[in-house]
Amino acid sequence: MTEGMLHGVRVLELGEGVSAPYCGKTLANLGAEVIKIESPQGDISRAMGPFPGDIPHQEKSGVFLALNANKYGVTLDVETEEGAESFRNLARTADIIVESMPVGWLDERQLGYSALADGHPALTMTSLSPFGTWGPYAGYKLTDLTLFHMSGQAHSLLGPVSDPDSQPPIRAGGHQAELVAGMSAATATLMALFRTRISGKGCHIEASAYEAMATQLVSALASCAFDRPPPSRSLSEVQEAATGGVVSAVGGILPCSDGYVAISPREDAQWQRWVELMDNPQWADEERFLTRDGRESNFTELWDLVGEWTKHRSKHEIARMGQERRIPCFPVNTVHDLFNDPHLKKREFFTTIEHPIAGALQYPGVPYRFSNTPLPLTERPAPMLGQHNDIYLREVSRQ
Amino acid sequence: MSEDSTGLPLEGVRVLDLSWIIAGPTATRFLAMMGAEVIKVGSARRPDPSTRGAPFQAYNQSKLYAALNISRPEGFELAMRLVSVSDIVIENFAAGVIERLGLGYDALRQAKPDIIMLSSSGTGHSGPDKDYVAYGSLLQYYTGWNAISGNPNSEPIKGGLWADPWVGMELAMVAAAALNHRAVSGEGNYADFSMAEALTASIPEALLDYQMNDRVPEPMGNADQHHTPHNVYRCKGSDRWLAIAVTSNEEWQALCAVIGRPDLSEDTILADAHGRRDQVQRIGAAITEWTQQHEDYEAMRILQVAGISATPYLSPDRVFTDPQLREGGYFTTRTASDGNRRDLPALGWRFEGGPEPRIMAAPVLGQHNDYVYGELLGLSKEEVAKYMDDQIIY
Repeated sequence: MTEGMLHGVRVLELGEGVSAPYCGKTLANLGAEVIKIESPQGDISRAMGPFPGDIPHQEKSGVFLALNANKYGVTLDVETEEGAESFRNLARTADIIVESMPVGWLDERQLGYSALADGHPALTMTSLSPFGTWGPYAGYKLTDLTLFHMSGQAHSLLGPVSDPDSQPPIRAGGHQAELVAGMSAATATLMALFRTRISGKGCHIEASAYEAMATQLVSALASCAFDRPPPSRSLSEVQEAATGGVVSAVGGILPCSDGYVAISPREDAQWQRWVELMDNPQWADEERFLTRDGRESNFTELWDLVGEWTKHRSKHEIARMGQERRIPCFPVNTVHDLFNDPHLKKREFFTTIEHPIAGALQYPGVPYRFSNTPLPLTERPAPMLGQHNDIYLREVSRQ
Repeated sequence: MSEDSTGLPLEGVRVLDLSWIIAGPTATRFLAMMGAEVIKVGSARRPDPSTRGAPFQAYNQSKLYAALNISRPEGFELAMRLVSVSDIVIENFAAGVIERLGLGYDALRQAKPDIIMLSSSGTGHSGPDKDYVAYGSLLQYYTGWNAISGNPNSEPIKGGLWADPWVGMELAMVAAAALNHRAVSGEGNYADFSMAEALTASIPEALLDYQMNDRVPEPMGNADQHHTPHNVYRCKGSDRWLAIAVTSNEEWQALCAVIGRPDLSEDTILADAHGRRDQVQRIGAAITEWTQQHEDYEAMRILQVAGISATPYLSPDRVFTDPQLREGGYFTTRTASDGNRRDLPALGWRFEGGPEPRIMAAPVLGQHNDYVYGELLGLSKEEVAKYMDDQIIY
């Protein structure tokens, strides 16, 4: 029996979609007993897919399965008095509640922190909302798309463009902004839980998805604070800034015979080794490429020349040759490559979980391994709708 | 440092921070702002490469900074003494470097049996590619993270600065998890962290789609599999865009009302998301007709009041001046090491009824030598001076 880092910690999760469930998933991965509370209709992520054969099925949504593995699941209609009562009873048994209901929704139903912590002072509640309960936009709605665009990340994701007015900024694929919000909430929750273990007192965390994403941007925010804001998205402005030494570091992707390779021989020594790897082409001796500044200022021309060399070789071959010479150099992997990667295999990164309806699937594990404490990453598949009502709703109805 | 109780969750926790550049310092920024005493240790012999840029000032907020040349035997001795009074040690050198310095987990455990050690590297500390040298920007390509973003049938994206801040936050979470475990079990832990895996772990839908449908997912720009409209639309001004995500038929009707298009509202073909997806161009043109007449923030307010998720696309300089962050108290003004007042960012959460996060300007190398070596390790002034002369505390 694996116990994990949070053995014995009981978490209630009341919130659907991606952010709050990702917070809950993080705690479940670490060994907490996470009870996911769904409305009788089920979490909206049950409709998100991807689905086998693109045929929607509430027990086969990839996003739902990934975000909710290793949790228990109950259905409660908290809008009804009976459901609210069950929720109150469950809350008495919980160490942590993670919720992302609309701001004020739980308080209106006497299910907010002050009501639930009355007589249960060790309770910690993490309320995750788009903007928190403060500021001019409290109560506004966010999705992954709108959160990503508002929080500055779309500025550099695509890279500079020749005409910003006709080439719109884009968001990252998947649900990256919502994952940041969920991880931020999990971080806060675990810090608060540590305090509770020492002081015996819980607290109410108010987490803002927008501020979590602003925190993901502190590098650029600091540049603004020190009067050095990043250049606009316009290619000409970016090139000007590069010449002025604002943007540095030679690096990026290059075409290969079978895709792309990503390299960055930015330091002088790395560049020397890279030139040797290319068998010392004549152009590398040109004056303009001899210094780091020169290579950065003439990056476009330099990159075209290097690309002439890479395009006849495979991405894995180049990456191996580069890394043998201690040059930061990686194949640009597809998901197909990832599942066949010997390194990830050796580290047992992917975990296989058998689900009674969706079948056996490989899920990404976690990026951390603890020396003294194995993690229970494959304890159970994501719960089917209402699967654990028997255990938990009976438990609280006995109280 | 002796101070009155702040009530912050990590008060009383001491962190020896051997990390540098972005990811590690980002992790300890979280810990420091939540009350831990973070002692950043570095040497003028090999300064933190991020030192010369402004971001250093944010990554290293609220920390102490002591100089130490660990490559010298006396410096190594001092490092081990610091380990013996610390709860957490964090480092993000290339795999194997910390062991060569004599500061691997086994050595640290000798000095402090319940030490928590966090080691972060590009590809982790085991497996055939563990020695790969990495930058976060390259890992974003390597891990499939960049591949699911971009416009359809276009060149791969640049990817921005995502890996390091994301890893930094997750490392802070791991530190908090390990502290919880130690509080209950009395045991420390060594955590092996792979930046690459942190990125691959955040694209589960692509990994599952591949297994379910034998399909390598293509990037979709701003589009969504299910919802339409779901894009950015031109507003008044240069490079000004409004992001709109309509996720229900009610929101669609509300949008049609705001933009004054009853014809679209009544069009039964557009009544559900499936029908709207086939008419994405026509819908986009109709929305743009409206957004082009508005400033982005103004358009956001109008649509949000109508119950639609809409936000301006903001570049970082506009995030920096955004009213939600300004009026909501996200920034705190402090005198930075350059003597100027600067607005420093906070974290993504508050505690109802306090306490406030600890926000101090980033230190300069050696600023806290007296506290760390004098007060904490009990060295005399003469000893500290001698170590400085000998370029040990350096």
